[in-house]
Amino acid sequence: MAYTAEISRDNPTCFLFVIDQSGSMDEKVEGGRSKAQFVSDVLNKTLYTLVTNCSKADGVRNYFDVGIIAYGGSDVRSGFGGAISGNIIQRISDISENPLRVEDRTRRVDDGAGGIIDQATKFPVWLDPTSSGGTPMRAALLKAMEVAAQWSDQHRHSYPPTVLHVTDGQSTDGNPEELADGIRQISTDDGQVLLFNLHVTAGGGQEIVFPTSESALNDEYSRMLFRMSSTLPGHLAKFAGDKGYSISDGTRGFIFNGDPKCIVDFFEIGTRPRLVADR
Amino acid sequence: MKRPLIFTVPKVSDQRNEDGYSCSHRKQVWALSDGASISFDSASWAQILVRRFCRDTRFSRDWVTAAVAEFSKLYNRNDLPWMKQAAFDKGSFASLLGVQLHDDARLVQILAIGDTVAVLCDGDDVVATFPYMKASEFDQSPQLLSTNPSENGFLGEWEKSDKLGCDWRFDRLKSPALLCMTDALGHWFLSRHEEGGIPIKTLRAIKSFKTFVKFVKAERASGQLRTDDTSLVAYWS
Repeated sequence: MAYTAEISRDNPTCFLFVIDQSGSMDEKVEGGRSKAQFVSDVLNKTLYTLVTNCSKADGVRNYFDVGIIAYGGSDVRSGFGGAISGNIIQRISDISENPLRVEDRTRRVDDGAGGIIDQATKFPVWLDPTSSGGTPMRAALLKAMEVAAQWSDQHRHSYPPTVLHVTDGQSTDGNPEELADGIRQISTDDGQVLLFNLHVTAGGGQEIVFPTSESALNDEYSRMLFRMSSTLPGHLAKFAGDKGYSISDGTRGFIFNGDPKCIVDFFEIGTRPRLVADR
Repeated sequence: MKRPLIFTVPKVSDQRNEDGYSCSHRKQVWALSDGASISFDSASWAQILVRRFCRDTRFSRDWVTAAVAEFSKLYNRNDLPWMKQAAFDKGSFASLLGVQLHDDARLVQILAIGDTVAVLCDGDDVVATFPYMKASEFDQSPQLLSTNPSENGFLGEWEKSDKLGCDWRFDRLKSPALLCMTDALGHWFLSRHEEGGIPIKTLRAIKSFKTFVKFVKAERASGQLRTDDTSLVAYWS
Protein backbone atom coordinates (compact mmCIF):
# COMPACT_ATOMS: atom_id res chain seq x y z
CA MET A 1 0.00 0.00 0.00
CA ALA A 2 1.31 3.45 -0.91
CA TYR A 3 2.26 6.18 1.56
CA THR A 4 2.70 3.87 4.52
CA ALA A 5 6.49 3.88 4.89
CA GLU A 6 7.61 4.58 8.44
CA ILE A 7 9.66 7.76 8.54
CA SER A 8 12.91 7.31 10.40
CA ARG A 9 16.52 8.41 10.28
CA ASP A 10 17.27 5.44 8.03
CA ASN A 11 14.29 6.27 5.82
CA PRO A 12 13.65 10.03 5.93
CA THR A 13 11.15 11.80 3.71
CA CYS A 14 11.56 14.98 1.70
CA PHE A 15 9.63 18.24 1.53
CA LEU A 16 10.31 20.51 -1.40
CA PHE A 17 8.81 23.99 -1.34
CA VAL A 18 8.59 25.78 -4.69
CA ILE A 19 7.95 29.44 -4.01
CA ASP A 20 6.93 32.12 -6.51
CA GLN A 21 8.88 35.33 -5.80
CA SER A 22 7.76 37.23 -8.90
CA GLY A 23 6.94 40.95 -8.79
CA SER A 24 3.21 40.49 -8.23
CA MET A 25 3.91 38.82 -4.87
CA ASP A 26 4.36 42.31 -3.39
CA GLU A 27 0.58 42.90 -3.52
CA LYS A 28 -0.95 43.43 -0.10
CA VAL A 29 -3.22 40.89 1.59
CA GLU A 30 -4.99 40.95 4.95
CA GLY A 31 -3.31 43.00 7.66
CA GLY A 32 -1.32 45.07 5.17
CA ARG A 33 1.31 42.41 4.62
CA SER A 34 2.38 41.51 1.11
CA LYS A 35 1.71 38.04 -0.31
CA ALA A 36 5.48 37.47 -0.27
CA GLN A 37 5.65 38.48 3.39
CA PHE A 38 2.76 36.21 4.30
CA VAL A 39 4.19 33.22 2.43
CA SER A 40 7.64 33.69 3.97
CA ASP A 41 6.10 33.97 7.46
CA VAL A 42 4.15 30.75 6.99
CA LEU A 43 7.14 28.96 5.49
CA ASN A 44 9.38 30.04 8.38
CA LYS A 45 6.77 28.76 10.81
CA THR A 46 6.49 25.49 8.87
CA LEU A 47 10.26 24.98 9.00
CA TYR A 48 10.21 25.82 12.72
CA THR A 49 7.57 23.13 13.26
CA LEU A 50 9.43 20.54 11.17
CA VAL A 51 12.66 21.16 13.11
CA THR A 52 10.82 21.08 16.44
CA ASN A 53 9.25 17.72 15.55
CA CYS A 54 12.75 16.33 15.01
CA SER A 55 14.41 17.90 18.08
CA LYS A 56 15.23 15.94 21.18
CA ALA A 57 17.36 16.69 24.20
CA ASP A 58 20.33 15.00 22.53
CA GLY A 59 20.01 16.75 19.17
CA VAL A 60 18.03 17.00 15.94
CA ARG A 61 17.10 13.71 14.27
CA ASN A 62 17.19 13.69 10.50
CA TYR A 63 13.68 12.49 9.74
CA PHE A 64 13.30 15.08 6.96
CA ASP A 65 15.25 16.49 4.04
CA VAL A 66 13.93 19.88 3.00
CA GLY A 67 14.49 22.13 -0.01
CA ILE A 68 13.22 25.53 -1.09
CA ILE A 69 13.21 26.43 -4.78
CA ALA A 70 12.56 30.16 -5.13
CA TYR A 71 11.74 31.62 -8.54
CA GLY A 72 11.21 35.12 -9.88
CA GLY A 73 12.61 37.27 -12.69
CA SER A 74 14.83 35.00 -14.74
CA ASP A 75 16.15 33.26 -11.71
CA VAL A 76 15.59 29.84 -10.07
CA ARG A 77 17.62 29.42 -6.90
CA SER A 78 17.73 27.90 -3.45
CA GLY A 79 15.50 29.77 -1.03
CA PHE A 80 17.95 29.11 1.78
CA GLY A 81 20.75 31.56 2.48
CA GLY A 82 24.17 31.40 4.09
CA ALA A 83 25.90 28.07 4.60
CA ILE A 84 22.96 26.06 3.25
CA SER A 85 22.41 28.03 0.03
CA GLY A 86 24.42 25.59 -2.10
CA ASN A 87 22.43 22.42 -2.65
CA ILE A 88 18.65 22.68 -2.90
CA ILE A 89 18.04 19.77 -0.50
CA GLN A 90 19.33 20.09 3.04
CA ARG A 91 19.12 17.83 6.08
CA ILE A 92 16.79 19.11 8.77
CA SER A 93 19.68 19.19 11.27
CA ASP A 94 21.67 21.48 8.97
CA ILE A 95 18.61 23.68 8.47
CA SER A 96 18.18 23.94 12.24
CA GLU A 97 21.76 25.17 12.61
CA ASN A 98 21.62 27.71 9.80
CA PRO A 99 18.75 30.19 9.92
CA LEU A 100 19.51 33.66 8.58
CA ARG A 101 18.94 34.93 12.10
CA VAL A 102 17.15 34.08 15.36
CA GLU A 103 14.72 36.73 16.57
CA ASP A 104 13.60 37.27 20.16
CA ARG A 105 9.82 37.24 20.35
CA THR A 106 7.19 37.04 23.07
CA ARG A 107 4.23 34.71 23.14
CA ARG A 108 1.38 34.00 25.53
CA VAL A 109 1.34 30.57 27.12
CA ASP A 110 -0.56 28.55 29.71
CA ASP A 111 1.22 28.90 33.08
CA GLY A 112 -0.02 25.52 34.26
CA ALA A 113 -2.11 27.06 37.03
CA GLY A 114 -5.04 28.36 35.02
CA GLY A 115 -3.42 31.59 33.93
CA ILE A 116 -1.68 33.01 30.88
CA ILE A 117 1.82 34.48 30.94
CA ASP A 118 4.10 36.18 28.42
CA GLN A 119 7.09 34.03 27.60
CA ALA A 120 10.24 35.11 25.76
CA THR A 121 10.96 32.75 22.90
CA LYS A 122 13.52 32.43 20.13
CA PHE A 123 12.22 32.37 16.56
CA PRO A 124 14.48 31.50 13.61
CA VAL A 125 14.08 33.07 10.18
CA TRP A 126 15.30 31.31 7.05
CA LEU A 127 13.41 33.14 4.34
CA ASP A 128 12.89 36.89 3.88
CA PRO A 129 10.19 38.13 1.50
CA THR A 130 11.37 38.83 -2.02
CA SER A 131 9.36 39.80 -5.10
CA SER A 132 10.55 40.93 -8.52
CA GLY A 133 10.25 40.21 -12.22
CA GLY A 134 8.42 37.51 -14.12
CA THR A 135 7.21 34.03 -13.21
CA PRO A 136 9.54 31.34 -14.59
CA MET A 137 7.33 28.49 -13.39
CA ARG A 138 8.54 25.98 -15.97
CA ALA A 139 12.16 26.50 -14.98
CA ALA A 140 11.23 26.13 -11.31
CA LEU A 141 9.26 22.93 -11.83
CA LEU A 142 12.02 21.51 -14.03
CA LYS A 143 14.43 22.07 -11.15
CA ALA A 144 11.91 20.50 -8.76
CA MET A 145 11.64 17.46 -11.04
CA GLU A 146 15.42 17.02 -11.15
CA VAL A 147 15.72 17.33 -7.38
CA ALA A 148 12.77 15.02 -6.61
CA ALA A 149 14.04 12.39 -9.08
CA GLN A 150 17.54 12.38 -7.63
CA TRP A 151 16.26 12.21 -4.06
CA SER A 152 13.84 9.38 -4.88
CA ASP A 153 16.59 7.37 -6.58
CA GLN A 154 18.66 7.68 -3.42
CA HIS A 155 15.79 6.80 -1.03
CA ARG A 156 13.89 3.93 -2.63
CA HIS A 157 12.30 2.73 0.66
CA SER A 158 11.21 6.16 1.87
CA TYR A 159 7.84 7.91 1.93
CA PRO A 160 8.07 9.84 -1.37
CA PRO A 161 8.84 13.55 -1.63
CA THR A 162 6.06 16.09 -1.18
CA VAL A 163 6.33 19.16 -3.44
CA LEU A 164 4.39 22.20 -2.25
CA HIS A 165 4.14 24.84 -4.95
CA VAL A 166 2.95 28.34 -4.09
CA THR A 167 2.19 30.86 -6.86
CA ASP A 168 0.03 33.91 -7.46
CA GLY A 169 0.23 34.12 -11.21
CA GLN A 170 0.58 32.59 -14.60
CA SER A 171 3.80 31.18 -15.88
CA THR A 172 5.83 33.56 -18.04
CA ASP A 173 8.12 30.89 -19.49
CA GLY A 174 5.59 28.51 -21.01
CA ASN A 175 3.09 25.84 -20.02
CA PRO A 176 4.28 23.99 -16.90
CA GLU A 177 1.70 21.18 -17.02
CA GLU A 178 3.90 18.53 -18.62
CA LEU A 179 6.57 19.17 -15.98
CA ALA A 180 4.00 18.74 -13.22
CA ASP A 181 3.00 15.44 -14.84
CA GLY A 182 6.67 14.47 -14.86
CA ILE A 183 7.06 15.28 -11.16
CA ARG A 184 4.04 13.15 -10.22
CA GLN A 185 5.45 10.22 -12.24
CA ILE A 186 8.55 10.06 -10.05
CA SER A 187 8.24 7.50 -7.28
CA THR A 188 9.86 5.60 -4.48
CA ASP A 189 8.78 2.07 -3.55
CA ASP A 190 6.23 3.71 -1.24
CA GLY A 191 4.39 5.74 -3.87
CA GLN A 192 4.53 8.56 -6.36
CA VAL A 193 5.76 12.05 -5.57
CA LEU A 194 2.96 14.26 -4.27
CA LEU A 195 2.59 17.67 -5.90
CA PHE A 196 0.26 20.15 -4.25
CA ASN A 197 -0.47 23.60 -5.67
CA LEU A 198 -1.57 26.73 -3.88
CA HIS A 199 -2.72 29.90 -5.58
CA VAL A 200 -2.51 32.94 -3.33
CA THR A 201 -4.50 36.07 -4.01
CA ALA A 202 -4.88 39.61 -2.80
CA GLY A 203 -8.66 39.16 -2.80
CA GLY A 204 -11.50 38.72 -5.20
CA GLY A 205 -12.74 35.63 -6.96
CA GLN A 206 -14.22 32.48 -5.62
CA GLU A 207 -12.10 30.43 -3.23
CA ILE A 208 -11.85 26.79 -4.30
CA VAL A 209 -10.33 24.44 -1.76
CA PHE A 210 -9.42 20.77 -2.34
CA PRO A 211 -11.77 20.25 -5.31
CA THR A 212 -12.55 16.85 -6.82
CA SER A 213 -13.09 17.95 -10.42
CA GLU A 214 -12.44 20.77 -12.87
CA SER A 215 -16.12 21.56 -13.20
CA ALA A 216 -16.20 24.16 -10.43
CA LEU A 217 -13.22 26.01 -11.93
CA ASN A 218 -14.05 28.75 -14.38
CA ASP A 219 -10.80 29.55 -16.18
CA GLU A 220 -8.13 27.58 -17.97
CA TYR A 221 -5.41 28.66 -15.52
CA SER A 222 -7.19 27.22 -12.48
CA ARG A 223 -8.12 24.07 -14.40
CA MET A 224 -4.48 23.61 -15.30
CA LEU A 225 -3.37 23.96 -11.66
CA PHE A 226 -6.03 21.41 -10.72
CA ARG A 227 -4.69 18.93 -13.27
CA MET A 228 -1.16 19.58 -12.03
CA SER A 229 -2.09 18.53 -8.47
CA SER A 230 -1.96 15.06 -6.89
CA THR A 231 -4.94 13.42 -5.28
CA LEU A 232 -4.64 13.69 -1.50
CA PRO A 233 -3.67 10.28 -0.05
CA GLY A 234 -6.07 8.94 2.57
CA HIS A 235 -4.17 10.05 5.68
CA LEU A 236 -3.79 13.63 4.37
CA ALA A 237 -7.43 13.73 3.21
CA LYS A 238 -8.46 12.69 6.72
CA PHE A 239 -6.29 15.40 8.26
CA ALA A 240 -7.79 18.00 5.91
CA GLY A 241 -11.27 16.73 6.82
CA ASP A 242 -10.41 17.03 10.53
CA LYS A 243 -9.54 20.69 9.87
CA GLY A 244 -13.05 21.26 8.56
CA TYR A 245 -12.54 21.04 4.81
CA SER A 246 -15.08 19.19 2.69
CA ILE A 247 -13.28 16.12 1.42
CA SER A 248 -14.48 13.49 -1.06
CA ASP A 249 -12.88 10.65 -3.00
CA GLY A 250 -10.49 12.12 -5.53
CA THR A 251 -9.89 15.38 -3.66
CA ARG A 252 -6.84 17.11 -5.13
CA GLY A 253 -4.17 18.89 -3.15
CA PHE A 254 -5.04 22.23 -4.74
CA ILE A 255 -6.31 25.55 -3.43
CA PHE A 256 -7.29 28.39 -5.76
CA ASN A 257 -7.67 31.96 -4.52
CA GLY A 258 -6.87 30.75 -1.01
CA ASP A 259 -7.14 33.21 1.87
CA PRO A 260 -4.44 33.46 4.58
CA LYS A 261 -6.01 30.71 6.69
CA CYS A 262 -5.97 28.41 3.67
CA ILE A 263 -2.28 29.12 3.17
CA VAL A 264 -1.50 28.13 6.75
CA ASP A 265 -3.60 24.97 6.45
CA PHE A 266 -2.08 24.09 3.07
CA PHE A 267 1.42 24.00 4.55
CA GLU A 268 0.28 22.15 7.66
CA ILE A 269 -1.61 19.47 5.73
CA GLY A 270 1.13 19.08 3.12
CA THR A 271 3.86 18.51 5.69
CA ARG A 272 1.90 15.94 7.64
CA PRO A 273 2.95 12.48 6.50
CA ARG A 274 2.56 9.67 9.01
CA LEU A 275 4.81 10.87 11.78
CA VAL A 276 5.30 7.55 13.46
CA ALA A 277 9.02 7.94 13.08
CA ASP A 278 11.09 5.98 15.58
CA ARG A 279 8.22 5.52 17.99
CA MET B 1 4.13 -11.78 48.49
CA LYS B 2 5.06 -12.52 44.89
CA ARG B 3 6.96 -10.00 42.86
CA PRO B 4 6.37 -9.11 39.23
CA LEU B 5 8.91 -10.01 36.58
CA ILE B 6 10.07 -6.92 34.70
CA PHE B 7 11.78 -6.97 31.32
CA THR B 8 12.52 -4.16 28.88
CA VAL B 9 14.59 -3.86 25.72
CA PRO B 10 15.20 -0.74 23.60
CA LYS B 11 14.21 -0.38 19.97
CA VAL B 12 17.85 -0.29 18.95
CA SER B 13 20.59 -1.58 21.25
CA ASP B 14 22.71 1.59 21.18
CA GLN B 15 19.80 3.97 21.76
CA ARG B 16 18.30 5.10 25.04
CA ASN B 17 15.27 3.08 26.07
CA GLU B 18 12.39 5.55 26.46
CA ASP B 19 10.20 3.08 28.33
CA GLY B 20 10.35 3.54 32.09
CA TYR B 21 9.29 1.33 34.98
CA SER B 22 9.32 1.41 38.74
CA CYS B 23 8.21 -0.98 41.43
CA SER B 24 7.60 -0.80 45.16
CA HIS B 25 7.40 -4.35 46.50
CA ARG B 26 6.55 -3.09 49.96
CA LYS B 27 3.53 -1.14 48.72
CA GLN B 28 2.64 -3.68 46.03
CA VAL B 29 2.68 -0.93 43.45
CA TRP B 30 4.31 -0.82 40.05
CA ALA B 31 4.18 1.46 37.07
CA LEU B 32 5.14 1.34 33.41
CA SER B 33 5.47 4.27 31.02
CA ASP B 34 6.25 4.60 27.33
CA GLY B 35 7.90 7.86 26.34
CA ALA B 36 6.94 9.10 22.87
CA SER B 37 9.99 9.38 20.64
CA ILE B 38 8.65 12.42 18.82
CA SER B 39 9.20 14.64 21.83
CA PHE B 40 12.01 16.40 23.63
CA ASP B 41 13.00 14.14 26.53
CA SER B 42 10.35 11.52 26.95
CA ALA B 43 12.72 9.06 28.65
CA SER B 44 13.22 11.39 31.62
CA TRP B 45 9.52 12.22 31.69
CA ALA B 46 8.57 8.52 31.71
CA GLN B 47 10.99 7.89 34.60
CA ILE B 48 9.54 10.76 36.62
CA LEU B 49 5.99 9.49 36.10
CA VAL B 50 6.67 5.90 37.20
CA ARG B 51 8.84 6.90 40.14
CA ARG B 52 6.24 9.34 41.41
CA PHE B 53 3.43 6.84 40.98
CA CYS B 54 5.23 4.30 43.12
CA ARG B 55 5.73 6.98 45.76
CA ASP B 56 2.16 8.31 45.62
CA THR B 57 -0.64 6.54 43.73
CA ARG B 58 -3.17 9.32 44.35
CA PHE B 59 -3.17 10.49 40.75
CA SER B 60 -4.77 13.90 40.09
CA ARG B 61 -4.15 17.04 38.10
CA ASP B 62 -2.10 18.39 41.03
CA TRP B 63 -0.06 15.19 40.90
CA VAL B 64 0.69 15.87 37.23
CA THR B 65 1.53 19.51 37.95
CA ALA B 66 4.10 18.40 40.53
CA ALA B 67 5.58 15.93 38.05
CA VAL B 68 5.84 18.68 35.41
CA ALA B 69 7.60 20.92 37.94
CA GLU B 70 10.12 18.15 38.63
CA PHE B 71 10.78 17.72 34.91
CA SER B 72 11.20 21.47 34.39
CA LYS B 73 14.06 21.50 36.89
CA LEU B 74 16.09 19.24 34.59
CA TYR B 75 16.64 22.03 32.08
CA ASN B 76 17.38 25.73 32.10
CA ARG B 77 14.92 26.66 29.34
CA ASN B 78 16.37 30.08 28.65
CA ASP B 79 19.84 28.68 28.01
CA LEU B 80 18.70 26.11 25.46
CA PRO B 81 19.43 26.72 21.75
CA TRP B 82 16.30 27.68 19.83
CA MET B 83 15.44 24.22 18.48
CA LYS B 84 15.75 22.57 21.90
CA GLN B 85 13.83 25.39 23.53
CA ALA B 86 11.06 24.94 20.95
CA ALA B 87 10.94 21.19 21.53
CA PHE B 88 11.05 21.70 25.32
CA ASP B 89 8.12 24.12 25.06
CA LYS B 90 6.17 21.78 22.82
CA GLY B 91 6.47 19.17 25.54
CA SER B 92 7.62 15.66 26.27
CA PHE B 93 4.96 12.97 26.17
CA ALA B 94 4.54 9.59 27.83
CA SER B 95 1.92 7.04 28.76
CA LEU B 96 1.38 5.90 32.34
CA LEU B 97 0.08 2.55 33.51
CA GLY B 98 -0.04 2.26 37.28
CA VAL B 99 -0.96 -0.88 39.22
CA GLN B 100 -1.70 -1.25 42.90
CA LEU B 101 -2.60 -4.51 44.66
CA HIS B 102 -4.90 -4.32 47.69
CA ASP B 103 -6.35 -6.69 50.25
CA ASP B 104 -3.58 -9.25 50.08
CA ALA B 105 -3.58 -9.16 46.28
CA ARG B 106 -7.30 -9.90 45.96
CA LEU B 107 -8.06 -6.52 44.38
CA VAL B 108 -6.12 -4.83 41.61
CA GLN B 109 -6.48 -1.14 40.83
CA ILE B 110 -5.33 0.03 37.42
CA LEU B 111 -4.66 3.58 36.25
CA ALA B 112 -4.03 4.03 32.54
CA ILE B 113 -3.34 7.00 30.32
CA GLY B 114 -2.17 6.23 26.81
CA ASP B 115 -1.36 3.06 24.96
CA THR B 116 0.37 1.00 27.65
CA VAL B 117 -2.02 -1.83 28.42
CA ALA B 118 -2.89 -4.17 31.28
CA VAL B 119 -4.29 -7.64 30.67
CA LEU B 120 -6.00 -9.74 33.33
CA CYS B 121 -5.65 -13.46 32.67
CA ASP B 122 -6.99 -16.64 34.24
CA GLY B 123 -4.83 -19.52 33.16
CA ASP B 124 -4.65 -19.26 29.40
CA ASP B 125 -7.78 -17.13 29.15
CA VAL B 126 -7.92 -13.38 28.74
CA VAL B 127 -10.44 -12.05 31.25
CA ALA B 128 -10.12 -8.29 30.66
CA THR B 129 -7.87 -5.70 29.06
CA PHE B 130 -7.46 -1.99 29.81
CA PRO B 131 -7.47 0.65 28.41
CA TYR B 132 -7.45 -0.96 24.95
CA MET B 133 -9.54 -3.96 24.01
CA LYS B 134 -8.64 -4.38 20.32
CA ALA B 135 -5.32 -4.43 18.49
CA SER B 136 -6.66 -1.86 16.02
CA GLU B 137 -6.82 0.72 18.82
CA PHE B 138 -3.03 0.93 18.71
CA ASP B 139 -3.32 2.57 15.27
CA GLN B 140 -4.83 5.70 16.84
CA SER B 141 -2.80 8.53 18.30
CA PRO B 142 -2.96 7.94 22.05
CA GLN B 143 -3.71 10.67 24.58
CA LEU B 144 -0.50 10.99 26.60
CA LEU B 145 0.65 12.93 29.65
CA SER B 146 2.73 15.94 28.71
CA THR B 147 5.22 18.26 30.32
CA ASN B 148 3.34 21.03 28.49
CA PRO B 149 0.37 21.86 30.75
CA SER B 150 -1.81 22.97 27.85
CA GLU B 151 -1.66 19.40 26.48
CA ASN B 152 -3.13 17.91 29.67
CA GLY B 153 -6.53 19.58 29.44
CA PHE B 154 -8.16 16.21 28.78
CA LEU B 155 -7.53 15.18 32.39
CA GLY B 156 -10.35 17.34 33.71
CA GLU B 157 -12.82 15.50 31.51
CA TRP B 158 -11.30 12.09 32.19
CA GLU B 159 -11.35 12.56 35.96
CA LYS B 160 -15.13 12.95 35.81
CA SER B 161 -15.54 9.73 33.87
CA ASP B 162 -14.28 6.16 34.39
CA LYS B 163 -11.71 6.54 31.65
CA LEU B 164 -8.68 6.76 33.93
CA GLY B 165 -8.92 3.50 35.78
CA CYS B 166 -10.58 0.21 36.57
CA ASP B 167 -10.66 -2.34 39.38
CA TRP B 168 -10.16 -6.04 38.82
CA ARG B 169 -10.41 -8.94 41.27
CA PHE B 170 -7.95 -11.80 41.51
CA ASP B 171 -9.83 -13.76 44.16
CA ARG B 172 -12.55 -14.93 41.78
CA LEU B 173 -10.05 -16.46 39.37
CA LYS B 174 -8.41 -19.89 39.57
CA SER B 175 -5.04 -18.94 38.18
CA PRO B 176 -4.89 -15.16 37.89
CA ALA B 177 -2.11 -13.22 36.23
CA LEU B 178 -1.62 -9.60 35.32
CA LEU B 179 0.44 -8.50 32.32
CA CYS B 180 1.44 -4.90 31.67
CA MET B 181 2.89 -4.10 28.26
CA THR B 182 4.02 -1.05 26.33
CA ASP B 183 2.42 -0.57 22.94
CA ALA B 184 4.48 -2.83 20.68
CA LEU B 185 4.02 -5.84 22.94
CA GLY B 186 0.41 -4.90 23.74
CA HIS B 187 -0.35 -4.82 20.02
CA TRP B 188 1.40 -8.17 19.56
CA PHE B 189 -0.57 -9.70 22.44
CA LEU B 190 -4.01 -8.52 21.34
CA SER B 191 -3.33 -9.39 17.69
CA ARG B 192 -2.33 -12.96 18.58
CA HIS B 193 -5.33 -13.25 20.88
CA GLU B 194 -7.71 -11.99 18.16
CA GLU B 195 -6.23 -14.54 15.75
CA GLY B 196 -7.19 -17.30 18.16
CA GLY B 197 -3.73 -17.83 19.56
CA ILE B 198 -2.76 -18.12 23.22
CA PRO B 199 -0.08 -15.43 23.63
CA ILE B 200 -0.14 -15.77 27.40
CA LYS B 201 1.49 -19.20 27.04
CA THR B 202 4.38 -17.63 25.18
CA LEU B 203 4.85 -14.91 27.80
CA ARG B 204 4.51 -17.35 30.70
CA ALA B 205 7.55 -19.21 29.39
CA ILE B 206 9.70 -16.08 29.70
CA LYS B 207 11.50 -16.25 33.03
CA SER B 208 14.69 -14.33 32.35
CA PHE B 209 15.93 -11.26 30.55
CA LYS B 210 17.80 -13.51 28.14
CA THR B 211 14.65 -15.35 27.06
CA PHE B 212 12.77 -12.05 26.77
CA VAL B 213 15.44 -10.66 24.44
CA LYS B 214 15.34 -13.87 22.40
CA PHE B 215 11.55 -13.65 22.14
CA VAL B 216 11.64 -9.96 21.10
CA LYS B 217 14.30 -10.56 18.46
CA ALA B 218 12.43 -13.52 16.98
CA GLU B 219 9.08 -11.74 16.85
CA ARG B 220 10.63 -8.59 15.37
CA ALA B 221 12.40 -10.68 12.73
CA SER B 222 9.14 -12.39 11.77
CA GLY B 223 7.38 -9.02 11.49
CA GLN B 224 4.91 -9.88 14.25
CA LEU B 225 6.30 -7.40 16.78
CA ARG B 226 6.74 -3.72 15.91
CA THR B 227 10.32 -2.52 16.27
CA ASP B 228 10.00 -0.25 19.25
CA ASP B 229 11.07 -0.08 22.89
CA THR B 230 9.39 -3.17 24.35
CA SER B 231 8.54 -3.76 28.00
CA LEU B 232 6.71 -6.38 30.01
CA VAL B 233 5.72 -6.43 33.67
CA ALA B 234 4.27 -9.84 34.44
CA TYR B 235 2.67 -10.77 37.75
CA TRP B 236 2.03 -14.50 37.99
CA SER B 237 0.07 -15.34 41.14
